[in-house]
Amino acid sequence: MSDKDRIQLLQGTLDLLVLQTLVFGREHGHGIATNIQRSADDELLIDHGSLYPALQRLERASLISSDWGISENNRRARYYTLTRAGRRRLVTETHRWETMVRVISRVMKPREAQ
Amino acid sequence: MNVPRWLRWRSDAELREEIQAHLEMETQANLDRGFSPEQARVAAQRRFGNATLVSERVREADPLFSLEIILKDVRYALRSLLRVPGFALAACATLALAIGASTAIFTVTYRVLLNPLPYPDSARILMLDFGNTLGNPSGFRFISSQQYFQYLDGARSLSSLAVYETDDLTLSGRGAPERIRVSRVTPSLVSVLGVSPVVGRWFAEDEGVPGAPPVAILSYGLWISRYRGDSAILGQSVDLDGVPAQIVGVMPRSYAFPEPGINVWVPLALTRATASPGYAFTAVARLRGGATIAGARAELTRLTNDLEAVYPGNGYRAFVSTALTLIEGTVGRVSTMLWMLLASVGLLWLVACANVANLFLVRAEARQREVAMRRALGAGRGGIARLFLAESALLSVVGGAAGLMLAATATRLLVAFGPASLPRLEDVRLDAVSLLFTGALTAVTGLALGALPLLRAVWKAPSLQGGGRTNTGSRRSQHTRHVLMASQVALALILLVASGLLVRSFLRLLAVDPGFDPRSTLTLQVGLPVQYPDRERAVAFHHAVLDRIATLPGVTAVSASTCLPLSSRGFCFGNTLAVEGRPRQPGRIPRAVAQRAVASGYFEAMGMRLLRGRGLDRGDTDRREPVVVVDEAMVAAYFPGEDPIGRRIAFGYQSNNGPWRTIVGVVEDTVTIGLAELDPIAKLYLPMSTSGGPDLPASGLLGPDISVMSYVVRSSTPPLGLAPAVRRTIDSIDPTVAMARVETLQDAVDRAAEQAAFTTVLLAIAAGVALLLGLVGIYGVVSYIVSQRTGEIGVRLALGAEPGDVAAMIVRQGGMVALAGVLAGLAAAFVGGRLIASLLYDVSPRDPAVFAATAVTLFGVATLACWLPARRAARVSPVEALRAD
Repeated sequence: MSDKDRIQLLQGTLDLLVLQTLVFGREHGHGIATNIQRSADDELLIDHGSLYPALQRLERASLISSDWGISENNRRARYYTLTRAGRRRLVTETHRWETMVRVISRVMKPREAQ
Repeated sequence: MNVPRWLRWRSDAELREEIQAHLEMETQANLDRGFSPEQARVAAQRRFGNATLVSERVREADPLFSLEIILKDVRYALRSLLRVPGFALAACATLALAIGASTAIFTVTYRVLLNPLPYPDSARILMLDFGNTLGNPSGFRFISSQQYFQYLDGARSLSSLAVYETDDLTLSGRGAPERIRVSRVTPSLVSVLGVSPVVGRWFAEDEGVPGAPPVAILSYGLWISRYRGDSAILGQSVDLDGVPAQIVGVMPRSYAFPEPGINVWVPLALTRATASPGYAFTAVARLRGGATIAGARAELTRLTNDLEAVYPGNGYRAFVSTALTLIEGTVGRVSTMLWMLLASVGLLWLVACANVANLFLVRAEARQREVAMRRALGAGRGGIARLFLAESALLSVVGGAAGLMLAATATRLLVAFGPASLPRLEDVRLDAVSLLFTGALTAVTGLALGALPLLRAVWKAPSLQGGGRTNTGSRRSQHTRHVLMASQVALALILLVASGLLVRSFLRLLAVDPGFDPRSTLTLQVGLPVQYPDRERAVAFHHAVLDRIATLPGVTAVSASTCLPLSSRGFCFGNTLAVEGRPRQPGRIPRAVAQRAVASGYFEAMGMRLLRGRGLDRGDTDRREPVVVVDEAMVAAYFPGEDPIGRRIAFGYQSNNGPWRTIVGVVEDTVTIGLAELDPIAKLYLPMSTSGGPDLPASGLLGPDISVMSYVVRSSTPPLGLAPAVRRTIDSIDPTVAMARVETLQDAVDRAAEQAAFTTVLLAIAAGVALLLGLVGIYGVVSYIVSQRTGEIGVRLALGAEPGDVAAMIVRQGGMVALAGVLAGLAAAFVGGRLIASLLYDVSPRDPAVFAATAVTLFGVATLACWLPARRAARVSPVEALRAD
C-alpha cells in the first residue's frame, strides 16, 4: 500500500491511539508506532516522528509515565506506561469517540440510521 | 545541569538517543522484511519523518524554550539599542525620571497616609473630635475632665479611654538643666495604644491620682542622649520643674505619641472631685469589639449632651461627636496635598511615556524595512512583537532600576527637607511596597511602550517595496504621533496650571501681613524652676532679665509674652468673656478670646501697631493694674460698632460679678496658628503681674501661668548673634533657669509657610520637567517629520515655494496640534481645579490670570519647538533634497 492510499489521522486522535496501545502494557516509541500501524491494518498514515510530541504531551499531563529499559534487540530504549489517570482518561475518551462515530455516521447515512 | 522535567521533557542527548533507538528498531524490522541495509535505513527515515523537526517541535513545547527565546530576544534588543545610544539614553533617562519621581512621592504618600500606625489593631483607635450645632461641623479636639469622667462611666462602645496634654518643662538633676517636651497622660493610654515600655514598666493606675509619688517614663532618644542608655537609671529620680520624679520606664524608639519629640511622659492625675469645665485635654479611645465608629459617635454625642443637666452653661448641649480614626486624625489635613502631589507625578509619568512612545514610533518607522525583511524571511507576528517588546522591556527595566535609585535619593531629600508640619515624615523610607510599586509601574510602562508600535508596525504588514523610499509616512502613523504630541501638551498644561495656582497662592501667603514685624528679632523661651514658687518672684525675675537684656549693645526693644504668634501651641490659652453691664444671652455662648500675659513694651518689641488708646507700660505691671489691651478681632466679636476703650470685661462669660478689667487700648490682629487664617482669632493682652503664676493655678478666670514666657528681643544687629549674650545675662541672674527654642520671629513665619512652600516647590519641579519633556518631545517629532518630508519639501522649493512659506506650513501644522492640546488641557484643568481648591489661599482654582498665562506660555513654547526644525527645513537645498532619495 502506498502512502497516497493511506488516510491521514484525525486531529487529536493520536493521543487516544497511544493510550489505547499502552493498555496492553509498557512499550517503547517504536513499539507503539508499530502496534498502531498493525492494528490499523496499515491503512493509517503516521510519521513515526509525530508520535514524540504526543508522548511529550501525554507525559506532561501525567497520563503516561516513562523510564529507561532494554529493548528486545538489547538496546537501551525509553518505555512508556499508562498511569491510573491515563486509564481513566482512556475510558472517557473512548466513550466520547464512540458517541462521535455514532453521531457522525447517523448524519452521513441518514436513511440507514432511521 | 539537571533541568526539572516540567521545564524540559528530555535533554537533547536523551531525545537524540530515543529517536536513534526508534530508527534502529525500524531499520532492523525492515531488514527482517528482506530490505537491503541501505533500503532499510532510508525507509526507516522516511517512515519517521524529519527527525530534526521533531526534536525542534518537542523542544519548543518545553517552557524552558520560551526562556531561552526571551534571553535571545533581550540579547538582540541590547545589541540593537547599543547601536543607537542617544535614543536609548534619552528613553532611559526620561523613564528613570518619571518612575523615580512617582516612586518617591508614592513612598511618602503610602508611608504617611496608608501605612497603618504602629499600634496593634490601630484601625480601632479613635481620636475624639467634636463639632457643635452652633456652626462648627468638626475639628474641635479638646475635652474637659467632666467629659472624661462622663465617658469613662457611660461609654459602652469604648473599651478604653485616655486623655493627655503636652507641655514644656525643665529637666534637671544629672546634667545641665534643659527644656523638654512632656506629655501628661492618663495611665489608661497603654490599653488604648497597646504599646509598653522597652525597659521598665508603664504607669500603674494608682499613679494617676493626685498625691501619688511622682513617676516618669523617658523617651528612647532622651534615654540614649542624656543617660547613655544606662538601664540603672530606672528607680533613680530626676527633677521636672524642680519636682523630683522617679524614672520607671523607657518607651521604644519608634514610639512617638502624641507627637514626635516628646521626651518624657508623666501621669495625668484627674479626679472626679476636681472635674472642671476647661477644655484642656485631647482624648484617644479604643473601640470595643463589635462597636462601630458611627455607634461610638452617637453615644458620645448623647453622653456629652446629658452633661448639660449636671453642669449647665458649659455648652455641652451643642456638642456633636465627630470621632475619627487616629490615622485620619493624625494625617487628615495633609492628605489632599499628598494625593495631589501623587496625581501630579502620575501626570508627569504620562508625559514621559508619551515622550518615549513618540521616540519609539519614530524608531519603529525607521525599522520598517527591517521588519519587512524579517517577515519576508518567515518571522511570525509573534516574533516581530517580541522584537519590540524586548526593547521596550529592556529600556523600562533599566529606566525603572535607575528610577529606583533616584527615588531612594529623592526620598531621603524629602525627609530631610520636608516640612516639620508633615506628620509621620520620620516614618518615610523606601520599603517593599515601594519596590512593588516601582516594579508594577515599570511593567506597565514596558508593556504600553512595546505594544504601541505593534499596533501599527506589525498589523500593517509593510512590504519591502516602499521601505526604501523616504516619504511622509502613513496617515495613521502621523495621526498617532499628533495625538501623543497633543496629549503631552495637555498634560503639561494641567501641571503648569496647578503649579501656577500654587505659586500664586504661595505669593499671597507670603504677602500676608502677620500683624507684627518679623525682621531682626530674636525669640527664646524661658522656664522658671521651682525656686520661683509664686507670681511675685516670677515677675521680679522676668523684670531683672529683661532690664539687663535691654542694655545689651544693639538691642532696641525687649519684652515677653506667654505665647507668641505662630508658636506650636497656637491658641495657647483663653476663655470667653463677660462684658460689664451687658446681660448674658441665654443659650448663646460668646466667642472665646485668647489670653496673653505680657511684660511692658510688648507691642513695641513685636512691632505691632496700636490702633486706639494706649499700650501696657511698666507702671501697669508694677501696680498690678486690672487693664487689658484687645485686638480688632476681639472688638469685632464683642463691641461691633462700639468704642471699647474704658469698657470693663471679665474672663468667663458667666463671670457676671467680675473681677473686672478695663480695656485701655486696641492693637491690630496678629496671625495665631498659621499664616492662612481667613478668620483671625480674637486676642487680649494683660500685664503679667495680673495673670496666673506658680502659686495661682492657671485658670481661664485669671490668665495664663507666667512661669514660662517667650522673650522677644528686637535688635539692630543680626538677632541670632545676640543669643550667647542673652544666655550669659540669664546665667548672671540664675544659671538654673532653662532657655529653649532660640530662633528669630522670621523663622516662625518661614516655618508657617513651609508646608505650602514644600508643595509649591515639588509641583513647580514636576511642571518644569513636564514642560521640558513636552518641549523636547514636540521638537523631536517635528524634526522627524521634517526629515521624512525632505523630499516633498525639496519638490515644493523646486516648484517655486518660498522658504518662508515652507517653514510657515510646518509651524502651522505643529501649531494646530499644540493648540488642540492646549484647549484639551485647559478644559481638564478647568474641571479638575476644584480638587486643589483646599490647598489654595485667596486664589480661585479657576484664576483667569494663571490659566491665560499658562496657555500662552505653553502655546508659545510649543510653537518655538515647531519653528526650530521648520527653519531648518526651509533651508533645504532642493537639489540635495531630491538627490538624497
